[in-house]
Amino acid sequence: MRPPLDLANHRLIICLGPGGVGKTTMSAALALYGAIEGRSVDVMTVDPAPRLLDALGLDASSSEPQRVPLDGIVSGHRKRPRMRALKLDPKGTFDALVERYAPSEQARATILQNRIYRNLSDALSGVGDYMAMEKLLELHLAPGADLIVLDTPPASEAIDFLDAPRRLLDLLNSRAITLLGRSGGSLLRGLKMVDFAARTVLSAFDRATGLNLLGDVQGFVESFAGMYGGFAERAQKAGALLRSPETIIVIVTTAEAARIAQAREFDASLEKAGLKVDAIVVNRMMPAMPDPSEIARAKISSALKRKLARNLKDFQALKDRETHALNELRGAVASRTRVLGAPDLGHEPRSLKDLAEIARSIGDLTPVH
Amino acid sequence: MSLPRLIFVTGKGGTGKSTVAAALALALARHHPTTLADLDRRKSALRLLASRDGHNDGKPYSLADGLEGIALSPHHELQAFIERMVPVKAISRRMLQSRTFGYVTAALPGLEAFLMLDRLRIMAGEAALKDRYLVVDGPASGSALELLSVASGVKGIAPSGTLNRLADNVHSFLIDATRFGVAITVSAEEMALREALETAATLRDRLGIQWIVAILNATSKALFDTAEIAALSPLKAHAQLARRRNAIAEYTVHAREQLKAAGLAVVELPTLFLPELGRSAANQLADKIDKALAHR
Repeated sequence: MRPPLDLANHRLIICLGPGGVGKTTMSAALALYGAIEGRSVDVMTVDPAPRLLDALGLDASSSEPQRVPLDGIVSGHRKRPRMRALKLDPKGTFDALVERYAPSEQARATILQNRIYRNLSDALSGVGDYMAMEKLLELHLAPGADLIVLDTPPASEAIDFLDAPRRLLDLLNSRAITLLGRSGGSLLRGLKMVDFAARTVLSAFDRATGLNLLGDVQGFVESFAGMYGGFAERAQKAGALLRSPETIIVIVTTAEAARIAQAREFDASLEKAGLKVDAIVVNRMMPAMPDPSEIARAKISSALKRKLARNLKDFQALKDRETHALNELRGAVASRTRVLGAPDLGHEPRSLKDLAEIARSIGDLTPVH
Repeated sequence: MSLPRLIFVTGKGGTGKSTVAAALALALARHHPTTLADLDRRKSALRLLASRDGHNDGKPYSLADGLEGIALSPHHELQAFIERMVPVKAISRRMLQSRTFGYVTAALPGLEAFLMLDRLRIMAGEAALKDRYLVVDGPASGSALELLSVASGVKGIAPSGTLNRLADNVHSFLIDATRFGVAITVSAEEMALREALETAATLRDRLGIQWIVAILNATSKALFDTAEIAALSPLKAHAQLARRRNAIAEYTVHAREQLKAAGLAVVELPTLFLPELGRSAANQLADKIDKALAHR
């Protein structure tokens, strides 16, 4: 049997998926899986729950990589496995990036105070995605880890995350937007008709709404002018890393019908963008149902037997719902993407041992033809 | 306690938010004409109730007796707003298609969200005139908080003009318990409970929202007592399943206590042990919601 995930030949695992499926937990479990196989692993998490931080032995206030103590979890390797975990801080990473590339103290201050920049720094607009990429690059280029697991912010569309570097560059590189804010004169000749119309309309829009979009956009783009090269280089490297054969893309989902549908959309849109999804991990799978005939044979009261039968019938209905959703998923993607399952422990993972149990139980659900 | 005209449903992913929104709409529709507005791109709540798909954004259509559905999208609201501001169709259309304009609005994400809220305000006003009720299947709690906070943000960036006035209107709409309320879905599970408590605190303390209800979903009663669990230990897998059932029950009790301690009204809905979650499941939940609302 093939191992559920071939980590030996890969250096990066990216976990994508909708919100509320346990993506961060799964990222940590996959990292531990790598460590169990003897790799030296870094896992980058987004907004981990307090329990998970505890399980990893992490300090909530720090966004620096912290060592995860693997004593009693991993043993018997010639190479000593190592695992580090860190929490992503998009705003801090972006500010650090501006500090690095800003040509002057004044340029830096202008950028950090610009309204567009402040809005861009909000998680909403995908800068969190871009910053995850930036931090990833930093880890990738630093010596140490030979495997990185990347958790990502919940997304409604998979491509949002992977597309983030290109979108930011597009914005910074837009000639029209640079010209948009300038007042009159020959420079405006460079604008296309439609941009010219947009400019006219935007200034009317600004007056009516009370916004000052034009001024802000101009200020933003101008203050970034000297930094474009630095950003472009980083974004290009990040883009190349995502498409490298050393990278595995994993979609995490649960077996609820709505999430399965979302996972399928993710898979299809990544396929369309020319990115290969290596596996879909269905998280929190219910355990296999026990044998009903055991109830009749058991030496217990008939009242208790009736309760057991009812309990089994109830959970069997939920298991049937899960199986149905899973079959649909496998039918839709099996030809190109492997479907893996991870068990529901019945509670939040509280310790590294819980995470290791999840990691070791990840199994292949792809049907054998 | 009377219901607000508009109930905005939110909750952590996986807590059954869309199913509950659909059930709540069905329950209200038994007594008043009701609209189910879906803000989610995937339109899960509408799909649960609609026999067919493919309706345009922004146009209401019938889902059941007394219940209509409508799909709303922030982008559509921005479009409508621009068409109002720029009445010459040819220009407004070109502007919307312009990449440059796309960048500007992308950099100001609050604008689309804000116009969405203003649309909800207007819909709630119209509903009051026609004695209708509105249920909104909103985004998951994190994004919902961002959406509902956007009015104060707009006041900051537009110190004068139309948007500033609209922001005032939106703010007074959100804090008016006769017009606006939030239902937070929560399952009997640690992370969902924590997120629900945090969401409720933010809605109340930071945004001043008055009407907040917690919908404790997928609950269960304990089926086995301690002696029975002990007697089951030779039946390993069955015992595990019995403990699973009881664990849901225990956490149900804990969650109920915590939500009540936080000053929230709690409506409880049972786990539906059904092989399929469709319209009939939504109707079963609607029965429970109907009863819970009648008792209050």
